Amino acid sequence: MERLMPKVMLDFKDVVSGYGEKDILQGFNATICQGEFVGLIGPNGTGKSTLLKCLSGLLPVKSGVITLEEKDNTSYSQRERAQMIAVVPQSFDIDYDFTVEDIVLMGRNPYLSYRTRESQNDYHIVTEAMRATKTLPFRKRLYNNLSGGEKQRVIIARAIAQEPDIILLDEPTSALDIHHQIEVMELIRNLNLKKSMTVVAVLHDINLAARYCNRLILMKDGKAIVDGIPKDVITEVNLKKVYEMKMFIKENKLFGKPEIIPLRVIKESEDYRSLRIHVICGGNRASQVLEELEAMGHQLTAGVVNQGSDDWTICDVLGIPMIEESPFTAISSEKQEENLAVMAKSDLILISDLPFGHGNITNLNGLEKLPGAIYFHRNCQNNDFTNGQLQKRLEAIKKHKTIHEIDDHQEFIEMVKALTLIEDK
Amino acid sequence: MKNTVKKYGIILSIAMCIIIIYVCTLLGVASISFWDANKILLDQIFHIDLGMENISDGAIAIIWNVRLPRIILAFITGGVLAICGAAYQGIFKNPMADPYILGVSSGAALGATVGIVMNFSSSLFGMNGTAILAFVGSFTTILVVYNISRVGRKVPVATLLLSGIAIGQTISAIMYLLMIFNQEEMTQIMFWIMGSLNGKGWDQVLTVLPYVLIGGVIMLTSVRELDIMLLGEETATQLGVDTERLKKKILITSSLLTAAVVSVTGIIGFVGLVVPHIVRLVTGPKHRVLIPFSLLFGGAFLILCDTLARTVAGQEIPVGIITAAFGGPFFVYLLRKRKQGGV
Repeated sequence: MERLMPKVMLDFKDVVSGYGEKDILQGFNATICQGEFVGLIGPNGTGKSTLLKCLSGLLPVKSGVITLEEKDNTSYSQRERAQMIAVVPQSFDIDYDFTVEDIVLMGRNPYLSYRTRESQNDYHIVTEAMRATKTLPFRKRLYNNLSGGEKQRVIIARAIAQEPDIILLDEPTSALDIHHQIEVMELIRNLNLKKSMTVVAVLHDINLAARYCNRLILMKDGKAIVDGIPKDVITEVNLKKVYEMKMFIKENKLFGKPEIIPLRVIKESEDYRSLRIHVICGGNRASQVLEELEAMGHQLTAGVVNQGSDDWTICDVLGIPMIEESPFTAISSEKQEENLAVMAKSDLILISDLPFGHGNITNLNGLEKLPGAIYFHRNCQNNDFTNGQLQKRLEAIKKHKTIHEIDDHQEFIEMVKALTLIEDK
Repeated sequence: MKNTVKKYGIILSIAMCIIIIYVCTLLGVASISFWDANKILLDQIFHIDLGMENISDGAIAIIWNVRLPRIILAFITGGVLAICGAAYQGIFKNPMADPYILGVSSGAALGATVGIVMNFSSSLFGMNGTAILAFVGSFTTILVVYNISRVGRKVPVATLLLSGIAIGQTISAIMYLLMIFNQEEMTQIMFWIMGSLNGKGWDQVLTVLPYVLIGGVIMLTSVRELDIMLLGEETATQLGVDTERLKKKILITSSLLTAAVVSVTGIIGFVGLVVPHIVRLVTGPKHRVLIPFSLLFGGAFLILCDTLARTVAGQEIPVGIITAAFGGPFFVYLLRKRKQGGV
């Protein structure tokens, strides 16, 4: 896979284009080399599809230059361009009864003149394209009678039959279920790897893009604002620039790729009186309750949490102040002192659903002296690895004050809502 | 397997057309016996004399100079209208398109009206003055419609169809105005507009034949691109079709063809709309098959309609009325089918 001088397939220089008076692309720059699998990501209306249209010759460029294989894109005829670039649209329906084979055979059109009929060689290429996409078994069936996933494979077969150097995909998976999404992406990746086809794909699903592309271009307002390998592009800082929403990004361990988890776009519609709430957490179940409380506008604190745990990650993303302890380390008494100091100022203290062991039972030390009301998730008792210490601790606290026991986090949220809702006049 | 069926299909269809031409030549108002008619045909075509002594010159003239050329002209006209309809439905991706959709018919009608009103009688290339004016009228209309809808190098289909309708209406208005001021010629104009093959001979056949041959060949060279055009203009462009050039090519060819036959026969409706649809139901959408079959079936259909037109009543009925009588109900059927299909 080592290439000393990768061939430049596509070069965009200050490309401006759009529909009528409106410019969608506003100075797009990028250089794409042979064998790259480039994902274009970004919100709706930022010019991703417009870029593909300019490239495939459907839309003229107002200013700037697109260079396709060393020549100006406008210097090619439609036929010449179709021999180099194949396009796979989002979904494709026709009103006429063509068979699968008819559709794939149309991919050979750029190589045929009006005098020549499809040769044996053309049929061979078409058959191979259908074999590669597993569409061969239904080549005599009508395209219209196929399912969405099958249709998309047929269109990819047509693109393969075009024998292009570059394949453009415009949201190829957005009309498909999860099985067919992966199937289509794997198919494209195979083309990219085995035939070293250059792939440029507009993708809405950032996780899919991060997983399959080896390069991502994040677009905003018709420009490329970040361009690089997925790990460098998919960061909260970058994504917050273009998507106005709360999200958090973690590494998907299975693929070693970043994964985005969108949290919330619409703010809480009700107004709540802000309370100081401390959440004792550190496992992996408190994310939702933390997020919801945060969205309601409460002043949250958390602790003591071990760095790297899921609850720690969400607090980090949401900017919730925490008392932290190193990973897999028992909570030290200093940290617990800090924790108590924070909790002393809290109106409510939630002992969230988390397993207790010898390492973190210290979290509950000294709670009996606190002024705030204490809420305890009953499920903790089912995940008690402390040989009865948890029970002892709870009883010690109960001697001084009541512990409100809850069965799930939602119960706590409802209680807090009832407590803090500000009624309209 | 499928290819042999296709080959048989085309041979069967050609055989059917020949049989229809033969049978319809025997049918007519003038009472010429079955045997006499056959003898005339054999003598004229193959120069086989089976005893022509008892047959009057009038009978020979009716069979050879009246019925046969008229039937052949009917075949050509029907075939041309059907292939133009098929091609238009392809490039416009619109099942309601027919050869007249861009105002060819209105232009021809205005031209013919002017010819009839002015009693324009000189003739050129076997066409009388009315036919020449009709031809000029229809071709001018197409040019105007095309240039109105042209935006730079592109001709958007929707604009083309709309300006076709708009210009067609305007031209019709002028024609009706001419009719009002020339009431004595009104019947003649009406008959022309409804289309008829009455009184057409070998001259007219020879006039339209070159257009049909050249036009047909041009159509056949575009079949693959027409197929791809059915996937939509954007996809066709991405598959290497120069859609603007294809549109221009089909537009010019079809309007020349249509103008040629319309100027000779008048406006015969519904053939160009209905026949491609029926053929498509049987052959599927591929133009390589659709165009030849449309030619044969359109031809056969118009021969049958014209035979009805000249035999069913005591007098000639304009054949346009017969085709419309069949075409109208079929159109309704199509609409209902589309509604059910939820297209």
